[in-house]
Amino acid sequence: MMLSIMRRTSFGRDPGLQARMLLTIFLLGAVYVVFVAVLFAATHSAALIILVAGGLFLFQLFASDKIALAAAGAREVSPADAPELHAMIERLCLQADLPKPRVAIAQTPMPNAFAMGRSQKHATVCATTGIMELLSPSELEGVMAHELSHVINRDVMIMTIASFFASVASMILNFGFLFGGGGWGDDDEEGGGFLPVILVSLMVYVISFFLMQALSRYREFAADRGAAILTSRPSALASALLKISGTMERIPSQDLRTAEGLNAFFIIPAKTKQSIAGFFSTHPPVEQRIARLQRLEQQLQGTIGAAA
Amino acid sequence: MGFLDALLGRRKVAGPAKSDRLFAISTAYVTLQTSFDIRSRGVAGLVFQPLSTGDFAQIVRDMEEIVRSTGEETGTDLETRDDEFGYRWMVLRDPDVEDLVVGVNAVSEALQSGGYGDRLLAAVFAFEDANGKPLYFIYNYKRGWWYPFVPAPGAQQRSVERELQLKAQIGGELPIEPELERWFPLWGVPI
Repeated sequence: MMLSIMRRTSFGRDPGLQARMLLTIFLLGAVYVVFVAVLFAATHSAALIILVAGGLFLFQLFASDKIALAAAGAREVSPADAPELHAMIERLCLQADLPKPRVAIAQTPMPNAFAMGRSQKHATVCATTGIMELLSPSELEGVMAHELSHVINRDVMIMTIASFFASVASMILNFGFLFGGGGWGDDDEEGGGFLPVILVSLMVYVISFFLMQALSRYREFAADRGAAILTSRPSALASALLKISGTMERIPSQDLRTAEGLNAFFIIPAKTKQSIAGFFSTHPPVEQRIARLQRLEQQLQGTIGAAA
Repeated sequence: MGFLDALLGRRKVAGPAKSDRLFAISTAYVTLQTSFDIRSRGVAGLVFQPLSTGDFAQIVRDMEEIVRSTGEETGTDLETRDDEFGYRWMVLRDPDVEDLVVGVNAVSEALQSGGYGDRLLAAVFAFEDANGKPLYFIYNYKRGWWYPFVPAPGAQQRSVERELQLKAQIGGELPIEPELERWFPLWGVPI
């Protein structure tokens, strides 16, 4: 059949996602350029501010993984401690052509997993004991592939850089009067006074906050996609996401016959879609992620074209 | 349920959905068979809530007779079972999926014309993949949608991954329930 001959790559590309990501990065950059220009025009201490922020930035880049691991109560495990998890990650790294990251486990019943580290060589992936108990091996593999995709895409680095000027703006908002030399526009010798800088910082902070949330959501989609391509099992990751988000609340385990009194027998109006809440979150809603993974599964099964 | 029903605490048991998508399974089965190597186990079940009223018992008897008489032509075999949930199963056996659909439809039509359409829960069709593992497609009468159900080893475990794969495979032809929280399992299906 045509189907089997044509299947050289199982998954199509997603130009829409790339375009939105680029646009967000561009807008973020534009906001930051304006911000730095205003900063230098308005105050002589701009260089000092950026220097201090730069120090903090480097500290964040080099120490954030250790801080995050410590905060999560995670501890690095050797292949002898967790042979299955190590073997799973090794296979995925082979598949992804990636140096093997450090592997950590956090002792908590909360199902979660995350990736840390500034580069591919300094990466740590962490899973909680909760997620390892909750998920089947193929589902856990999907989640670990998602985290490894974050490593491949250098998401920690990109999000830290993206947040650099946003943290400068927030520093100015917090300690602005210190940098401004105590003046609230009583003498304009420094060129313009400091009030405008505070206002601009506030605006930069707010705008870049939303842009960064959007960027983070796009990178989640990209990592889902990466995981699906790595494992070629989009539905396993979808199943894992369904389990993690309100365990079994979505695909029920309650029997149709016992659910009779609840809602199997009654047509309840469909839930209203969440709209504004989606604006504030770093992760896209699970429904959207499932829908995209379903598209990938359809491409894999050949029921829709890979170009779509 | 409408706003007034909610306000006044009225509850009506919903009848079968207006748009009947039961027959979609017979065309979908062709694709399942040719593209995905999924075969029918030659058995389907209709699950409903039996009532203790006299006319209901009569309707069920008539219904069985109808299916038995049509079954003599098509070769469909029929048996009745009660399960531990207190529901009654009409189990139909026929190697031809199309005959199964016709049989299931005859039973549900008989119940509906007797005025008991609201007691109809679901129709279940049993299939198996190339490895002989069972998988089911369930038709929810109240919703008028189909959804896959794949039991996994272990007590009351299901393979959501496989179910989502099936949705991706056949969703274009079989109208699949869009709300995942309504993919209710049927543990211990007697077919």
